[in-house]
Amino acid sequence: MLKQIEGSHAVAHVVAQCRPHVISAYPITPQTHIVEELADIVGAGQLDAEFVNVESEFSAASVVLGASAAGARAYTATSSQGLLLMSEVIYCIAGMRLPIVLTCANRAISAPLSIWNDQQDSMAVRDAGWIQLHAEDNQEASDLHIQAFKIAEQTFLPVMVCMDGFILTHAFEPVDIPEQKEVDDFLPAFKPRHIVDPRWPRGIGLFADPRFYMETRYILHRALEKSEDTIKEVSSEFAKAFGRESGGFIKTYKLEEAEVVVISMGSVVGTIKELIDQLEEKGKKVGLLQICSYRPFPRKEVYNALKDKMNIVVLEKCISLGRGGILASDIRWSFPRAEKKDRNISSFVAGLGGRNISIDDLRYMVEKVEKEPVEFEFLGLREELIAEKDM
Amino acid sequence: MREQSKYLEGVDKKDLFASGHRACGGCGQALAARLVADAAGENTIACVATGCLEVFSSPYPDPSWRIPFLHSLFENAAAVASGVDAAYKALKKGPVNIIAQGGDGSTADIGFQSISGMLERGHNVLYICYDNEAYMNTGVQRSSFTPYGARTTTTPTGNTTRKKNMPMLAADHGIPYVATATVDDFRDLQVKIRKALTIEGPKYVHILAPCPLGWGHHGELTVEICRLAKDTGLFPVYEIIDGKVTNVRKIPVKVPVEEYLKPQGRFKHLFKKGVPSKEVDEIQEIANQNIERFNL
Amino acid sequence: MDKLPLGLALDLRKVVPYETGSWRTLMPVNIMQTPPCNHACPAGNDIRGFLRVLAEKKDYEEAWHVLSRTNPLPATCGRVCPHPCEDGCNRRDFDSPVAINSAERAVGDYGLEENLEHKKLIAHRKEKVAVIGSGPAGLSCAFHLAKRGFQVKIFEAYGEPGGMMRYGIPSYRLPNYVLRQELENIWKLGIDLECNIKVGVNIPMDQLIQAYDSIFVGIGAQTGLTIDIPGQDAGNVFSGVEFLREVNSGKYVDVGKDVVVIGGGNTAMDCARVAKRLGANVSVVYRRTRVEMPAITAEIDEAMEERVMFRYHTNPVKIIQDDDKVVGILSVQMELKEPDASGRARPVPIPGSESVIPADTVILATGQAVDYDGIEVHKRDNKWIAADENLMTSIDRVFAGGDAVLGLETVSAAIGQGTRAASAIEDYIDGGVESRLSSPPVIHSKDLNTYYYNKKRRFQKEALPIHMRLKHFKELYPALDPEAIIDESERCFSCGLCYNCGNCYMYCPDNAVKISPKTGLYEFDLDFCKGCGLCAKECPCRYIQMTLEK
Repeated sequence: MLKQIEGSHAVAHVVAQCRPHVISAYPITPQTHIVEELADIVGAGQLDAEFVNVESEFSAASVVLGASAAGARAYTATSSQGLLLMSEVIYCIAGMRLPIVLTCANRAISAPLSIWNDQQDSMAVRDAGWIQLHAEDNQEASDLHIQAFKIAEQTFLPVMVCMDGFILTHAFEPVDIPEQKEVDDFLPAFKPRHIVDPRWPRGIGLFADPRFYMETRYILHRALEKSEDTIKEVSSEFAKAFGRESGGFIKTYKLEEAEVVVISMGSVVGTIKELIDQLEEKGKKVGLLQICSYRPFPRKEVYNALKDKMNIVVLEKCISLGRGGILASDIRWSFPRAEKKDRNISSFVAGLGGRNISIDDLRYMVEKVEKEPVEFEFLGLREELIAEKDM
Repeated sequence: MREQSKYLEGVDKKDLFASGHRACGGCGQALAARLVADAAGENTIACVATGCLEVFSSPYPDPSWRIPFLHSLFENAAAVASGVDAAYKALKKGPVNIIAQGGDGSTADIGFQSISGMLERGHNVLYICYDNEAYMNTGVQRSSFTPYGARTTTTPTGNTTRKKNMPMLAADHGIPYVATATVDDFRDLQVKIRKALTIEGPKYVHILAPCPLGWGHHGELTVEICRLAKDTGLFPVYEIIDGKVTNVRKIPVKVPVEEYLKPQGRFKHLFKKGVPSKEVDEIQEIANQNIERFNL
Repeated sequence: MDKLPLGLALDLRKVVPYETGSWRTLMPVNIMQTPPCNHACPAGNDIRGFLRVLAEKKDYEEAWHVLSRTNPLPATCGRVCPHPCEDGCNRRDFDSPVAINSAERAVGDYGLEENLEHKKLIAHRKEKVAVIGSGPAGLSCAFHLAKRGFQVKIFEAYGEPGGMMRYGIPSYRLPNYVLRQELENIWKLGIDLECNIKVGVNIPMDQLIQAYDSIFVGIGAQTGLTIDIPGQDAGNVFSGVEFLREVNSGKYVDVGKDVVVIGGGNTAMDCARVAKRLGANVSVVYRRTRVEMPAITAEIDEAMEERVMFRYHTNPVKIIQDDDKVVGILSVQMELKEPDASGRARPVPIPGSESVIPADTVILATGQAVDYDGIEVHKRDNKWIAADENLMTSIDRVFAGGDAVLGLETVSAAIGQGTRAASAIEDYIDGGVESRLSSPPVIHSKDLNTYYYNKKRRFQKEALPIHMRLKHFKELYPALDPEAIIDESERCFSCGLCYNCGNCYMYCPDNAVKISPKTGLYEFDLDFCKGCGLCAKECPCRYIQMTLEK
């Protein structure tokens, strides 16, 4: 049923439909509306779950870790510093193969403090062994949560659903919230693989000496690679069950004829599509490749989609300080070095700390790369504030 | 065939924490962990913090635990146990004994917040602190449970602060049960564990567990050192039930702190040529204050 | 459930424990040690053994069998033994020694009440052994030999068996029925007894030597020694042994109103107290002070309670007679000077201090000696019979023991001698010396971890009130409460032997102390023991010790 609803609330309702047993969270803007709404739902008796109000994100992650290890479907949500505070547990959850779902309402990282959106937070834990899915809009954000539980519980890998803070979380859009029965039909009950239960005593979280550690990491890496199939399958099952495309690995827009391809992820793709349409009217062929699954990284899909494209520009809301664009690195890595040395892959960082990415900014970017490749550039900088002596 | 020892009536020995762990000879913590596991029984889940206990007892593929064991990090045993508790409630499973366990570092320092949260939220979890008064796993560094005067690798001239009073801090969360115990009195320790587990809600039990390596005493003295800790007044043994200090163990014959300090290498610097330094007086003062405060 | 992922989760029921035993440099071992009580017991009793049976099993019958393995006379020793075991008891340094003597009496009395019988170890051997004298030494020797199947015959000079136990110990200390029953129990082993046969007088020693494979001489010291004092031939002057024998034989002895006993030994105390029970005022005259008196302290105390007068620093000079009848003693006061050869202060008369002590009877309890009548062959320079370390005399196949060899000693010492002689005789007959295990080292109180023992009041036997004692010869200490004795046995530290306290089992941080499925005893699992020594340190009775790894 289509509803005009705030993104956070849409996500909360869908998460509740997934019937998690344990929810634990600690307040941080802009994640708060999600967990407040879930608390309401639990409080109203609409969801039979334990809602654990903890004293930190660190404990929120630890609570869901414990709950999952005890056989519960567990959910948490956070942002920014919260995710960083969780990070130790984030690694652990993946290493212990616990199928937890976490919503990251993407937000900038301190310092300076900023509550506004970018994607530096989820990027900081990209190597932790989680599946990371990025939502384009609130419909997809909602849909991805239904898929996330299914993917997680089939692969025994935790899934982080990333949605841009404020831009999505606080935006009212029409969202098709499914019926409970539809979700129940799509998402089977959680069948845990290894749990702490006195009936079958198991040791979970043992320590591994050098004889075993490498293999455990290899297995985790391969499990993430293998989860590609599950992510795709679940996405197409979802399309079949709910009648709309959501998630999957990558999505494209007007890519086939495109001479310049913009690559990005998250909510900014909406603006990019708008620009593509505007430029098309002027006869320019620009296309979009949207990364939906950032981890595991869709290297093959990116390569197949772009193998004939010679002018590519990566736009991202995050940065590896001292190195440059992170997504750009991933894209550059997606092409074998020997192949088509004259392919240009430009890298732009934009929208850090909630800086607006205007359609003009994007137009400037496309026009610039049409002329010459850009190794790396901050888009939309206020040059007047920058002094050499500050660096 | 000899009968079961009458001295062990009401004492549990099931070896749910089994042989084969890598603790040093005479380890107080290994002894305590077994006493706890055996008192708690098979229907128990152990959530263990990173530390000596975890490292020596849970190497893959031959851990010593025979009850479900869950470990993830240093500072989150209480939160993980909260999660297990939440899961059991949500899944309507149980009843089960959930025991979070950690050393003094994970209890008093890095995990303090997580324990406070667990206690305050009212989880049905028993938290056990195995107090060996320093970070032993990493090589005997000072923790906030390191006693005054003790030498550690990060207090090479002796610790200058007094020990954090965790049992009182725990009790001030308004939880129904707090107790202290030592490994020498295994009956008392097990009675407290069993008692704690009959009480719904959060519980805190603080067990003094001498570390031969870190304290610098021979492994054979582990039990004797505990006794001296109690009989000097340096480690008061009591319960706090619903906020009231009760069942205080009276010291049969008060022992000067020197007798406790002398067998331990970590206090050796307090006795130059056998003559006690002024720090020893300070330690005696701490003991005296305990004796007065708890009417030991 | 799927196969669990590598390194992440493990089925704890399938763990093969890692063996930590290789870390060990010291190894715990169980070492049974000799407790000081056993070590101090002249009869060689397993005191710890019978106390542990009482404490752990509350089983009087088994305790009696443990005790009577070495001692055929527990009810007797439980009454008359001065119990050096209690002096040795490690509990002495903790609170007070275990009341072993009382426990022995309770166990012995139980044996009599329940008619418990000694068990023969070997049914029959053809070799014959003659035992001369049925005192504790002879009885013990006969008992042990009869248990081992030998044909034993005892020759007793007096009318009834028992030696000094029968004729020397007053019946308020050892009632006759107790001795009689214990003796009857011994006869059940098939020992032949002939009374009123004094070897050397009624039957020549040589005849025995020819007729028997071996002979044991346990004739005691039945002759009273007198001191050189004028007037001792008077009527109503007795030697101590003689006086006691008369009374114990049931003869009426008219001691008159005032009795003076000369001497400070146990015989003197017995004589004084017997005379008191015969209605006399009794004075003990002794040259030195109470400190130097050789009698057992308890006996002196009891004599004092019974209002026996003690005249210290007093030496008899002359027995004053009137018509062959004693009327008093002329005595002189002494003062103590530098010690003499015996180490005791040397008494020297004070000139002009003579006085007269009135006396109707004088008893000279001033020493005893072997009665060599007819067996002069054994007499040497020394007044006692000479025997080597195996108790063999200078005559082949003849062994000797008890007071006749030791000089004046206790019943227990005589029993111990009889036991040793029995072994020596067996070895002699078998033609070789059986190697006997030397006892393990004695355990001292400093070796124990007394933390685990609780202070507890020692059992105190109750004597009859004074006013009831002196009217008759009834036993001074009435029957003991068996329950109280069980309580008392629980005070035993079990020095040097596991008493199942469970400390090792509970304290081992490696769970390397297991209960043996076969024996139920604790055993070390050396696959896991790291050799920390905690078990040994916390073993209260030092049954566990650490040794170098083999």
